[in-house]
Amino acid sequence: MNSLQDIVDRVSAIQPLPDTALKLMEVMGDPTSTLDNIVDTIKYDQAVTSQVLKLCNSSFFGLSRKVTSLNDAMLCLGTIKVLQLVMSIHTNNMLASEQKGYGLEPGVLWKHSVAVALASSLFAQRLSLPNADLAFTAGLLHDIGKVILNEYVAQEFARIIHKVTEDHMAFVEAERHVLGFSHVEVGGMIAEKWKLPDAIVQCIRFHHVPSELNPPESLVDTVYLANTVCLLMGIGLGEDGLSYRADPQVLERRGLGEHDLELIGIQTIIELQRVEQLFDRTAEKKPVAQ
Amino acid sequence: MDKIIDIADLQVTDDPRDTLVTYSLGSCIGVAIWDPKVRVGGMLHYMLPESSLSPEKAKEKPAMFADTGIPALFRATYKLGAGKKNIIVKVAGGSQLLDDNGVFNIGKRNYIMLRKLFWKNGILIEGEDVGGSLSRTVRLDVSNGRFTIKSRGTETEL
Repeated sequence: MNSLQDIVDRVSAIQPLPDTALKLMEVMGDPTSTLDNIVDTIKYDQAVTSQVLKLCNSSFFGLSRKVTSLNDAMLCLGTIKVLQLVMSIHTNNMLASEQKGYGLEPGVLWKHSVAVALASSLFAQRLSLPNADLAFTAGLLHDIGKVILNEYVAQEFARIIHKVTEDHMAFVEAERHVLGFSHVEVGGMIAEKWKLPDAIVQCIRFHHVPSELNPPESLVDTVYLANTVCLLMGIGLGEDGLSYRADPQVLERRGLGEHDLELIGIQTIIELQRVEQLFDRTAEKKPVAQ
Repeated sequence: MDKIIDIADLQVTDDPRDTLVTYSLGSCIGVAIWDPKVRVGGMLHYMLPESSLSPEKAKEKPAMFADTGIPALFRATYKLGAGKKNIIVKVAGGSQLLDDNGVFNIGKRNYIMLRKLFWKNGILIEGEDVGGSLSRTVRLDVSNGRFTIKSRGTETEL
């Protein structure tokens, strides 16, 4: 079963990302986009529109009047918040299922992914990146490869963990050693299949080894730092735990120190609790199987 | 009943039916304290060593930091009748990435702050499982003070 062809087949069979999400990413990546462009992208997707309105009108946001249109939602909550809501809704089904191979109970991979997305956004703002909108999506999808690799990891877990504990390999290296590929390569394949922007594919592929990119990419560094903070804070950890290598160059080249990480850690926890409350109260909780 | 302690939170109880649980400790530290005489237990899940990083957050959520969370945990159990002399302390967490240069050393600094505070206050740590690169889930059974750590599918008692 563990052949690359097998994985390729599974990647081609994966459910596509909704058109709205793809178009939205295109619009988000274009600095000349206007509010109208964004509304135009979402408004034809009735399911998403109604979910956005439902979330906006939940008691959670405590708005004093009823939000009745996407335009309204954008004005009340801000464009970025609405975009983040849409992307979180789109990935909820896929990421919320249990990932047994990684020891992730239902909802835990989604929680980790949303936390990394929020932290990526915060780092992108801190670093004044021009493509801060993409940072959220890149963070949200960084571990998407786990959704497919999960079953393979489950079968070979004992051998993988042996490589980690006895041979001091990072989990991602052990996956590659035992299976021939890791969740980052599989994630990259999924992102290509979905025709995601190259910048996001790169973030998925290099989120454990950002300094292997030459020259380094600020968006990849951002997702790396976001993932690192979330691992340290223990947000959505699986059996792989913190068994990933630190990359000491990233902080240096981005001019950040430990206090920056800690402050973003605090902010991430606060925002994550808000998002979790929001989804618990209003979205469907039942995870959907793959 | 399982009472779940979130990150940057603490809970105390004198109900022997309670088990205090905190999930998925990374570099954070879980501190469990228990007084066998009055069967009062408490658990803290703090994320960072020093409240000076953000005094306003520390005011809002003292359990976020070691130097505000640990005193708050002890005070809360005293209110339920626990005595400093009887309290048994167990700690777990403080994991690290595979990090030879120690650039992301929150786990280590979390642990150093805890040792410093306990040393200053003459409190002994009865058992600890700290460091490494594991994720840990810890439980304190308030009826008997049993403190267990679950990691990579195996549960051990400390």
